[in-house]
Amino acid sequence: MPLVEVHNVVKEYANGEETIRPLDGVSLTVDQGDYVSLMGASGSGKSTLLNLIAGIDQATSGEIVVADTDITKLSRGKLADWRARHIGYVFQTHNLIPVLTAYENVELPLLLLPMSSAERRKRVGIAMEAVDLTSRASHYPRQMSGGQEQRVGIARAIVANPTVVVADEPTGSLDDETTEQILTLLSRINTELGMTLLMVTHDADAGSRARRKIRLERGRLLENGKPVSLVKGQTAQLHTA
Amino acid sequence: MHKFIPYVFKSLWRHRARTLLTVSGTAVALLVFCFIGGVQQGMLALTAGEDAGRTLIVFQENRFCPQSSRLPQDYESTIAKLPGVQAVAPIKVFTNNCRASLDAVVFQGIEPEKMKAWRDVNLESGNWNSFASQDDAALIGVDLAARRNLSVGDKFTIGDVSVLVQGVFRSTSAAENSLIYTHLDFLQRARGANDVGTVTQLEVHLTDSADPDAIAKQIDQEFRNGPVGTTTRTKGMFQADTLADLAELIGFVHWLGYACVGLVLSLVATTTVMSVQDRIKEHAVLQTLGLRPLLVLGLVLTESLLLSTLGGILGVAGSVLLLSSAGMSIAAEGVTIAFEPSLTLAIQGVLVAVVVGILAGLAPGWHASRTEIVSALRHA
Ligand SMILES: Nc1ncnc2c1ncn2[C@@H]1O[C@H](COP(=O)(O)OP(=O)(O)OP(=O)(O)O)[C@@H](O)[C@H]1O
Ligand SMILES: [Mg+2]
Repeated sequence: MPLVEVHNVVKEYANGEETIRPLDGVSLTVDQGDYVSLMGASGSGKSTLLNLIAGIDQATSGEIVVADTDITKLSRGKLADWRARHIGYVFQTHNLIPVLTAYENVELPLLLLPMSSAERRKRVGIAMEAVDLTSRASHYPRQMSGGQEQRVGIARAIVANPTVVVADEPTGSLDDETTEQILTLLSRINTELGMTLLMVTHDADAGSRARRKIRLERGRLLENGKPVSLVKGQTAQLHTA
Repeated sequence: MHKFIPYVFKSLWRHRARTLLTVSGTAVALLVFCFIGGVQQGMLALTAGEDAGRTLIVFQENRFCPQSSRLPQDYESTIAKLPGVQAVAPIKVFTNNCRASLDAVVFQGIEPEKMKAWRDVNLESGNWNSFASQDDAALIGVDLAARRNLSVGDKFTIGDVSVLVQGVFRSTSAAENSLIYTHLDFLQRARGANDVGTVTQLEVHLTDSADPDAIAKQIDQEFRNGPVGTTTRTKGMFQADTLADLAELIGFVHWLGYACVGLVLSLVATTTVMSVQDRIKEHAVLQTLGLRPLLVLGLVLTESLLLSTLGGILGVAGSVLLLSSAGMSIAAEGVTIAFEPSLTLAIQGVLVAVVVGILAGLAPGWHASRTEIVSALRHA
């Protein structure tokens, strides 16, 4: 059973008279432990798809099932709870909270989960260690470099041990050397921590790090040049479940 | 929720100039609000209260200023004979200023024994016997003593009246703490005017079963044919009538109190709206991490609540300090209103601040919680 199932998802934006349809019946499955890169032209709908899977945007139609939950059916509040448990989001610009230290930023997602402060401390410690920023724990975002900020952002995304880590152009605003650092870090998160990773990028080199490379073209997904669709059996299973 | 309180504090601290301005603005507005409340309470204390309804004041008919009310002192014995009357105290009132004034000094000349019997005062310093035995001795209220920096042994002159302070007293009725008591005959002889045999007013104390209104009518009836006509009212009524102009003013000022509340509301709301607008993206990030929309609303509410409550507490504390330290009062026509702080007023002030804080945060908080995450994330 795949971890993520996107089934026939349509996303439309009404723009006055005309409708834009960046996602036109998209289907995709992602297995536990996969590392998937999502590429495509600017404006093709990559971020839109990622945001739908992350549960911060609503599809016009279709189903998105993550770890057995159809998230298109959840209320705003329930969806927020679900995100806290299942999604780690790495933004293009780190989006750290400026008034909080690196440590406090990483701790934020844990505050939403039932957890003792000792457990929180332990987990934040592990996440900070993973991004090699233990020595910067008490620094504020403005006291760190862009690459360090992004690493804090990654630590914040993985600290709660989410079902899926999504990243929207995580190296989009970094220089080459830092980009390399971040991509290596993301690969390690996938290989060493076994986390499922879905990364949007427009950089072919970055995309090639992933195990599966998917392209979004004219509202449809292509993998290895062929259209992606659900295996028939799985579709049936989905509807009877 | 409580786990996010440090974040709220840090956000407020990040914009400390804005926070400070809002808190101090709120504090000033609530100080004024409580001050106005204190004045109103002082007014209420004069016209309500047990004493106000059970004691009659006989004044000369159609006269308003104590200087112009002149009643024959021997009315005392006539009134004392009426059934229901327990005692009568003739009182001479002298004030340096008959108009409404913040610095009016009011003398009451009264026979020492009568004062001892009918005034609920406690000597804080000085000595009763030296007051009773010395002709130009005076007992002064604590508020006046504080305001004019007077103590036992001091001699002072106001108008043409010179007295020697023989005691400083505290009364259960705050308005009296701004009074000066002297001997009746001393005040009658003072200022060269030959006022011996006339008094300003007669204070009539009734037995428990007596009907104040009936006796008041009876007294006025008695003197209708002269030599001097009287108007007799309960002490509360007398004070309310005397202070009618002021009461109207205070009633009007009372609207200023509400205006202060409105001011705080708009001030705190403006700050909260600004703070929410500054953080459209930040709130979207928090929601992406999994904060429920309601929690975001809660955080914004906490922020506005903290601003206004902190300002409220400071303002209330300031007003209590001001009202209690300065012993302020306003006098008109020989009647004094004391502005007194009270616990009820303080609680009221803080409560107003809390309610205003919640109201001010509701709309911006609601807005923050309903923002579309994806479009807010695109926000610069
Ligand atoms: N709120 C919106 N209203 C109308 N159209 C929108 C809105 N959000 C996105 N779109 C449109 O949807 C399409 C897909 O946008 P999306 O951001 O997913 O593209 P993308 O592939 O991530 O592009 P980029 O590589 O530039 O980030 C674009 O054509 C965009 O203009
Ligand atoms: Mg994008």
